[in-house]
Amino acid sequence: MTQELKLVFAGSMGAGKTTAIRAISEIEPITTEVQNTDFVEFDKEETTVAMDYGELTLQGGEKLRLYGTPGQMRFQFMWPILASGALGAVLLIDNSRPDPLADLELYLEAFRSLADAGAAVVGVGRMDRCPQPSLEDYAERLAQLDIVVPVMPADVRRRDDVLDILEVLFQQIEATNDVSQNAVSE
Amino acid sequence: MNVRAIPQELEAAFDREIKQLHARVAGVIGCVLATTDGRRVAAVVDNEADPQRVSAMVGSIVALGETIGREVMIGQTQFVAVSAVSGMILLQRVPAKRDLLVVGTLARHNTNLGTLLHETGIAAAAVGIVFDEWLKSANTASGATEHRGVEAAGRPPLADS
Repeated sequence: MTQELKLVFAGSMGAGKTTAIRAISEIEPITTEVQNTDFVEFDKEETTVAMDYGELTLQGGEKLRLYGTPGQMRFQFMWPILASGALGAVLLIDNSRPDPLADLELYLEAFRSLADAGAAVVGVGRMDRCPQPSLEDYAERLAQLDIVVPVMPADVRRRDDVLDILEVLFQQIEATNDVSQNAVSE
Repeated sequence: MNVRAIPQELEAAFDREIKQLHARVAGVIGCVLATTDGRRVAAVVDNEADPQRVSAMVGSIVALGETIGREVMIGQTQFVAVSAVSGMILLQRVPAKRDLLVVGTLARHNTNLGTLLHETGIAAAAVGIVFDEWLKSANTASGATEHRGVEAAGRPPLADS
């Protein structure tokens, strides 16, 4: 039987969750995008209001089920629903937003159990146009929060960038599991 | 439409329709008019439910209902209903030229579903007429191009799609 793994993509509105899933999904993604009516939050034509869904088969045959969350705070009720049973989380931060480090804190807190388990990775977008905060700033903030997750720049329109994020996420999960197993056996 | 900048007269007219729906159907304990992206436009709720949270959920559930309808190829979704032990909620899109609004009606469990559906449909149609008339007058008054100035520069227009 094919093993199925669930991953969740979270982050602020416009960070690229739908785009990231679309970039790597081998099926036409299921989306719940509707016309955006809040241009104060983000100047974007459409926004996800429930979830995105895509699928990707790994080289080993495991099937990844990819779930995207709606980004706005008012849809926070959807986040734990979609994160339930997830192996890991990809947190996408848009560096062009007013306070990306506050966004980082918000989504890390929301997906804290996955982050604490070492099952999360942070992808920072639009760093080419908005280089600040830097990756060092992100690392510093994570250290203050006592959270150890990888942070990497990403252009989620590019399939390879999204696959790189997933590769780092799986390495992180594997490394954390190894450490846990060693701790148990010692 | 930027819901944070709905003109007062339009908001008042929406509010009137929602209050009328709430008042005319026995057993109805709440009515919400929300945007399809989950923002509260008008609401009357008798219990402790938070209208803003309910509005967000209305947007999500309608989108999910319509998505699953498409996925299983049963055609366009007409309404979404949630039936619970102590009540039910019925969600119906507002039929208007711009597909931006949803009416949600919360009722006690002993309310007749057919009546609720009929009355929610009437309210949705009335809201649609109000919205269409306002869109028409707004576009006539200012012209599609000029109307783009209603919101901050670069934002999509309020009235023309």
